[in-house]
Amino acid sequence: MRTLEYRLEALKKILLQAYHQKEKLELGDQWHMNVMGRVRRLGPLQARPDPLMQFGQFVWRLTPVTCLLIIMSAAVLLKFDFTPDYNVLISFITDVEEISLAQLLPL
Amino acid sequence: MYRQFCVDAPKRVAYSVHMQNDTHTPSDADIVRQVVTGNVNAFEFLLKRYQGLVLRIVNSHLPNHEVEETIQDVFVRAYRSLPTFKGSGDFSHWLASIAVRTCYDYWRKAYRAREIPLCELTDRHQQWLENVMSKQSEELSAPKGYRSEAGEVLDWALARLPAEDRMVLELVYFEGLSVKEAAKLLGWSAANVKVRSFRARKKLEKTLKSMILKQSGGDTHENS
Repeated sequence: MRTLEYRLEALKKILLQAYHQKEKLELGDQWHMNVMGRVRRLGPLQARPDPLMQFGQFVWRLTPVTCLLIIMSAAVLLKFDFTPDYNVLISFITDVEEISLAQLLPL
Repeated sequence: MYRQFCVDAPKRVAYSVHMQNDTHTPSDADIVRQVVTGNVNAFEFLLKRYQGLVLRIVNSHLPNHEVEETIQDVFVRAYRSLPTFKGSGDFSHWLASIAVRTCYDYWRKAYRAREIPLCELTDRHQQWLENVMSKQSEELSAPKGYRSEAGEVLDWALARLPAEDRMVLELVYFEGLSVKEAAKLLGWSAANVKVRSFRARKKLEKTLKSMILKQSGGDTHENS
C-alpha cells in the first residue's frame, strides 16, 4: 500500500509532463495583419511621453499614500474631539473684548 | 526546495532570444528608435523577429483558444510602451515581461469574471487518476496531447488557485525560472514571488492530496 506522499509525487510528475506536452500552436499570417492594422490605427508614437499622461501616472502612484493619510486623519479626528468647546464659544459670543489668549490656553 | 516541482522538468521555456550579430540586420534599438520617431511600419520587423518568443510564452500560459488574440494584445501593448523602452536593455526580456504580464492580466480578468470552470472532476478523470495511481513510478508518463486527461486535471487543479498563485507557480515550478527571473518578468519583488510561490505550491499540493484521498476512498497512508 502506497503512502499519500508517494502518490502525490507520482501525480506531480505526470502533471508536470502534461504541462510541457501542451500542444504547440501554429498561427497563420492573419494575426500579423491584425496587429499592424491596430498599430497603424494608433498612429505614430510620441517620442516624448505626454506630460499630462505622466502626471496621471504620478497621481495614481500616490493614491495608496493619500488613502492612508485620509484614514489616519479620520482616526485622529475621531480620537481627539475637534468640536469647539461650548463654554469657549459662549465666552467668544458674550464677551468678545475681554477674551484673551491667556484665558483660552492654559498658560 | 523551490525546484522540487521541476526536478524532472524536461525543458525550460526560453524567455529571451539571442540575436546574432549581423551587420545587415538592424539592431532592436535601431528599430525601436525608428518606430518611436514615427516610422510605424518598422514595428513589423520587431513583430516578425519576436513572434516565436511571444507565441511560446503565451501558448505555455493560456488556453489555446485565447492565444491568438492575446499575442495581438501583447504586441499592441509593446508598441504603446515603446517610448519607455531603454535602448540599453535587452529587448527580448522587455517584451517577455510584457507577454507574461498580459497573460497574468488575462487570468485576473477571467477569475474576476468567473470564467474559470470550477466543476468537479468527471468519472473519466477519476478513472484516469485511478490508472495513474496504480502504475509503478517508472511506468508513469503523460499521454500525448494536452487535451488529455492529465492536462484537464492540471487545469482543474490550477483553476482552484488565484491568478497570482497560478502565474507564479507556472513560472517558478513548472518552467524552472529562478525567483529573481520570475520577479523581473512579473514586475514584483523577489520576496513577494518567493513567499507566493511557496504558498501556491502548498495550496496545489493540498488540492492534489484531497483529490488522491477522494479517489482512493481514504485507502492511503498519510505520511507527512
